[in-house]
Amino acid sequence: MPTERATEFDSSKIKDQALRDLCNVLEGVRGKKSLVVDKSLSGPLGLIAQFSLLQDYGVVQLHWVEDNNIDYSTSKNILYIARCTAKNAYSIASQIKNAPRIPGQDFEHSLFFVPRRTPLCDRILEDEGVFGDVTINEYPLYFIPLEPDVLSLELDDAFEDLYLHKTYTSIFNSAKALMLLQQQYGLFPRITGQGNKGKRLLDALIRMKNEAAAEDASTSMALAPSSIIENLIIIDREVDLVTPLLTQLTYEGLVDEIFGINNSHVELEASLIGSALQTPTDSTGRSVGVPAAPQAKKRKVLLEGSDRVFSELRDVNFSAVPAILKKTALRIDADFKKKDDCKTVSEMKAYVTKVLGPAQKDRTSLSMHFNIAEVIQKHINTELFEKTLEVQQSLIAGYSSTQQNELITELIARGASLETVLRLLCLYSCVNTGFKPKDFDLFRREILQGYGYEHVLTLTALDTVALLQSRITAGSAAAAISRTNYDYLRKPLKLFSENVNESDPDDIVYVYSVYAPLSIRLVQCVIQKSQMAHAARGGGGLNPTSAGWKGFEDVVKHVSGKSFDEVQKGEDKAVRARMILDGQNEKKVTVVFFLGGITYTEIAALRWLAKREDGKSPFCNIPRARVLTAGIGRRQIIIATTGIINGNKIIRAATADAQTKPPQA
Amino acid sequence: MASGLPNPTSTWELVSGQYYRKLVLFTPSWAHDEGFNLDDYIVTGAPFGGALALWKDPRKFHAYQSGQSVKPSIIVCNLAGGLLRRITWDRGAIQAIGWSDDEHLLVVTADGSVRCYYDLQGNFTQFSLGSDAEEHGVVSCRFWGSGFVALLANNVFVTVNRYDEPRPRPLALPKLPSPESKVHSWALIPPNYSDSRHVEVIMATDKTILIVDATESQDQVLQNGPFHHISVSPNGSYVALYTGDGKVWVIDVKFQQKLSEYDSGKTNQVPIDVQWCGVDSVVLVWEDEVHMVGPNGAALRWYYDSRVNLVPEMDGIRMITTEKCEFLQRVPDVTKSIFEFGSSSPPAGLLEAVGHLERKSPKADDAIQLIRPSLPEAVAACVQAAGHEFDVGWQKQLLKAASFGKSVLELYNSDDFVEMCKTLRVLNAVRYYEVGLGITMEQLERLTPDKLIERLVVRQEHLLALRMSDYLSLPTDKIYIHWACMKVKLSTDDEETICRTIVAKLSGKRGIAFDEIARSAFEEGRGRLATQLLNHEPRAGRQVPLLMSMEEDEIALDKAIESTDSDLVFYVLLHLKNKLPVATFFRIINSRPLAYSLIESSARYHDTELLKDLYYQDDRKTDGANVILRESLAQENFTTRIDKLKLASKLLKDSKDHLIEATALEESIKLLNLQESLERDIFEETFVGLPLNETIFKLTRLGFHPRANKIRGEFKMPDKRFWWIKLRGLVAKREWAEIEEWGKSKTSPIGWEPFFNECLSAGNTKVAAMFIPKCKHLNHTERINMWVQCGLVVKAGEEALVAKDYPALEALLPKATGAAVPEIQRMMQRLRPSK
Repeated sequence: MPTERATEFDSSKIKDQALRDLCNVLEGVRGKKSLVVDKSLSGPLGLIAQFSLLQDYGVVQLHWVEDNNIDYSTSKNILYIARCTAKNAYSIASQIKNAPRIPGQDFEHSLFFVPRRTPLCDRILEDEGVFGDVTINEYPLYFIPLEPDVLSLELDDAFEDLYLHKTYTSIFNSAKALMLLQQQYGLFPRITGQGNKGKRLLDALIRMKNEAAAEDASTSMALAPSSIIENLIIIDREVDLVTPLLTQLTYEGLVDEIFGINNSHVELEASLIGSALQTPTDSTGRSVGVPAAPQAKKRKVLLEGSDRVFSELRDVNFSAVPAILKKTALRIDADFKKKDDCKTVSEMKAYVTKVLGPAQKDRTSLSMHFNIAEVIQKHINTELFEKTLEVQQSLIAGYSSTQQNELITELIARGASLETVLRLLCLYSCVNTGFKPKDFDLFRREILQGYGYEHVLTLTALDTVALLQSRITAGSAAAAISRTNYDYLRKPLKLFSENVNESDPDDIVYVYSVYAPLSIRLVQCVIQKSQMAHAARGGGGLNPTSAGWKGFEDVVKHVSGKSFDEVQKGEDKAVRARMILDGQNEKKVTVVFFLGGITYTEIAALRWLAKREDGKSPFCNIPRARVLTAGIGRRQIIIATTGIINGNKIIRAATADAQTKPPQA
Repeated sequence: MASGLPNPTSTWELVSGQYYRKLVLFTPSWAHDEGFNLDDYIVTGAPFGGALALWKDPRKFHAYQSGQSVKPSIIVCNLAGGLLRRITWDRGAIQAIGWSDDEHLLVVTADGSVRCYYDLQGNFTQFSLGSDAEEHGVVSCRFWGSGFVALLANNVFVTVNRYDEPRPRPLALPKLPSPESKVHSWALIPPNYSDSRHVEVIMATDKTILIVDATESQDQVLQNGPFHHISVSPNGSYVALYTGDGKVWVIDVKFQQKLSEYDSGKTNQVPIDVQWCGVDSVVLVWEDEVHMVGPNGAALRWYYDSRVNLVPEMDGIRMITTEKCEFLQRVPDVTKSIFEFGSSSPPAGLLEAVGHLERKSPKADDAIQLIRPSLPEAVAACVQAAGHEFDVGWQKQLLKAASFGKSVLELYNSDDFVEMCKTLRVLNAVRYYEVGLGITMEQLERLTPDKLIERLVVRQEHLLALRMSDYLSLPTDKIYIHWACMKVKLSTDDEETICRTIVAKLSGKRGIAFDEIARSAFEEGRGRLATQLLNHEPRAGRQVPLLMSMEEDEIALDKAIESTDSDLVFYVLLHLKNKLPVATFFRIINSRPLAYSLIESSARYHDTELLKDLYYQDDRKTDGANVILRESLAQENFTTRIDKLKLASKLLKDSKDHLIEATALEESIKLLNLQESLERDIFEETFVGLPLNETIFKLTRLGFHPRANKIRGEFKMPDKRFWWIKLRGLVAKREWAEIEEWGKSKTSPIGWEPFFNECLSAGNTKVAAMFIPKCKHLNHTERINMWVQCGLVVKAGEEALVAKDYPALEALLPKATGAAVPEIQRMMQRLRPSK
């Protein structure tokens, strides 16, 4: 448990801790060992440690729990690291039972559950009769910092868990992870949020806080309100399902849409990476996920902010990408030319270390991104993409016409991918409060005939998640209350706008070219009240120091689920002690937690807001004086989530059942 | 020296320039008992001045004493001989007794069963060292702070690392020089001192020493064996070996360097014990004769009236005899600098000064002026030395000196002084004979005050523990809990009163785990009391396990749900599912949505039959049908697959709301049958499982147009869709002639543009161009563009000419090549003849 006092938000500590814990896990088993990892953990572990580190700690082999193909000949120590699910417990139990028994050579099984050891898993191992044969421990891995400002639990199935199966394991895990933040930085002084599952998270969080307070007298100090973090905003994905359904248009968003990014890694054809192959950093395959080169053709590449080229590109609208690529190319060229200015040996030395090294790295990265951008450009020039976007944008603008229906039917006839079509249909249903019964039947038939009758299951799942519904169900009085009403919200929240400068944006609308994500607008309602009020009502009438949902209660009423706004107070003594210890921080931190996943585009929009709040942006259209009176200091936004999501992942959660295949013999 | 206190140096003895002192900690109560002889017992002591366990030595004859119980028992007592517990033993031959740092008593029997007495109250957990131990038997054991190693008769070492979840593991097999080799003696290096961070064993066999760990056995290739004793120093850096010719060798643990050698002169008598005293001397015991070997091989010898039992500590050694309990240690440096005869060190001066002061002698000031420059160090030294003293009088005197010294200093941070006063109060309180803990200050630092309080708690010294915790600002929750548990167990009051007493005392205190108290009430058979107490537990999750053992199943489930921990809920559900009849189980989960979803989602993967029952019971027909549909998808056998589908569609048909789904499943059966017959007719192509659109596309691509048409009719596919699919199929087949023929139709439900686009993207500009004139609804600019895309600039020009669009023609000019250039120019001329 972190006990150090922190004076600023530093996510690298979380990563360091995770790495230290992992080393302890590996050290716990002496000598050579076979490591068996739950597949859903391989990506997250790859973000913490490289494969070479595992080798340094004596890992000779890496297997997946799911594969059940451990090679027992190489080492007598078997080390399992798996999430604490019942499924994993069963399969590990059966593997331990089936381990070969060689007299005189006993296998040592150690098992680390992530993020915690549960009585459930103990019970399963006991029922399966292997409890005594295995040493059980836990590896408390919760948040993994993907970037300094993004913390993710990397739970792949959070969406299904929350909205489809409604088992809510991820709520508990999220609450635990947020509790750890509170233990380090103090209580979130204010928790504001929206959505029914978000409310459940809040309840869990408050319950845990009370339990922690009852637990131990010594934590009462740590559980005083933080002087570093100003507030926590919880956005339940259910509140805004439209945003992820839209095709992302930022650079990183498009890479995710077209190639798919998993745990910050994208799998690319080797030819796209080009000369990057020769540099050792990228060619080792930085992920644990690649024990050996699986296919020679594809390679995994880590996309992260420390790559200067990528960090400039990732959050901009794709239409601005070519210009930036060109500018970067010129800059790198200039960097290389600087050598002509060097006269003395020491100048030359400084040049080689400070300029040449990074410039060479940039050049490698640039050539890769040129290749990627070319593929994306080709993709978005296709007629299918254009038509899809056309339907999306007219739906979001609120123009509904029969033409959209025809376009969608055409897309089905032309064999567009199931994800694309379902995303459009769901979008239609979300924006227009369901389909007319006649259309609903028509489209369901189209889907079933076009993509297979097994998708009866998919349609049921989408109905459960309230993504694809008939107006009869969606429009019923009970359902109407719990639905986000885009028609109403479009104007007061300025969700739609056609005047945006994509290369030099003055509003987050730029991320989708015409649409400002509702989820982010809600965040703005909490932290940028005056700007939002300005947009909504032509300004004025709002006390700038008000917090929570204040001033936007009527807006929030039209958003799905419960709204909540909770102030967490501590004992006066503890509050004062904390103030003295931490000092008053000028820079305030807002933690935005997306329960159920966030898209790269939303991250881009939040970063854009953060940059502007930090006072760095040149296009701040509010006079400085007003900023000061409005009480907006420097603000840092930390994004936390259960995982990165996109429309395809949502649809795939629903189609999982229909993909059932006969077991391979 | 002052004040009538005994001279502290009277207990000192000099060994090669180093002083050692032997203090009498306690005179045990048994010393006054005529009938008691400690020599009859095997004695083991817990570290940090902890309890002693006495077990009658089975190899000796004992005089029968009437009136005493003949049942064998282990006597647990404190250092002052005060009985803590008599544990009746009924498990057979004890092979070893040991203690852990937490003062858990461990008893190992010859057949490898281990009991861990964790609370000095006779409560224990038990585990076995495994079948190997059962078969061959345990020979001996060595203990360290948190685990132990047992040597079995087949020369296998078995290690246990922790007692809360013991997992006995064998170490690597020792590579004995020959099969007949015997293990003469052995010792272990605890995990925290070994290089590998895992326990290692040093064993003597034949003439050499082996070091054995979990993975390998290493021969140190020594020639001077056999070694009859091995002892590892408390810091894990040195090893003392007792050789066959009566010598003691001290060697570094890497076996690289011999540090000293001592000849005991006893060649034919092997000592009964060899242990370290601190880290620089070794103590040897032959019944009543004790040698202490100092750093340079010089030794002290003492003779006793009875057998001496050794309990090594980190900073010295305890020697326990029938007469007394002594502590032998090297005199700490500060103590030495103050009390050494003729010492003129500043702290000694300070002590002298305070003596003068007490006698109201004016020399006090002179004395203090003399040491003025080093007064701060002198004060610090006196504070430290006070901590090392066992005599309260000297503690006071030294603190007085320090206090006097600091009053002279202008600036002095008295934190250390205050801290030391506190520590001494604690030390003196636990050294009181009724408590009987013989702990030194250094040991307390290592043990930590928290653990000391735990030791008091298990000794039932709740009040002392509580006072001490308050005094040291330590958490008190565990003391209260323990007290309450004891109250529950021992009180004879009625349950109502007990509950009231406990709640009155504990309410408002943080961190009280009422579940623990409730559990001990339940274990005592006081179920109602347990329920009452449990209601005071604020943490819902913690109530669950006890509620489950109390068979309060539904409450347990509700509490688990309240805790928001889904895994815990599922844990309870799993328990209930195995225990209750299905109908009751369903009734319980029906009213609890979270429980319902958990069962639903887990049954999807593990227990579809349960899921079907659940849906049947709830009359959820669609969901039931979906389960069967999933089963059909997972089915390899074609007929079963169809049968399952039929079953599912039958279920759906019963309800009106699911007409679409029901028809879909029927269509699905029809399609599958069709596809199967297609596969029979068309070799080497798979159709089964394809969607309808895909099937028609594939048939078109393969050229089976009539069949495609027939299926289309059977499934009433809309024209638009069919045209699109056919177009794509033909283009994919590169069936240009067919497309041209088809394109002669008057109208197309999808317009002609798709024909143009599809052909163009397939690369056939010639066919694509054919459709341009048919796109009548497009304006001329679009058509111009289409012509250009086909590379027909002249045609584009003609289009512009018809529309009289001069700028368009201009724009076309640069695109034209060869003969097209004059053509375009001619057209431009025709529109604007003037230029």
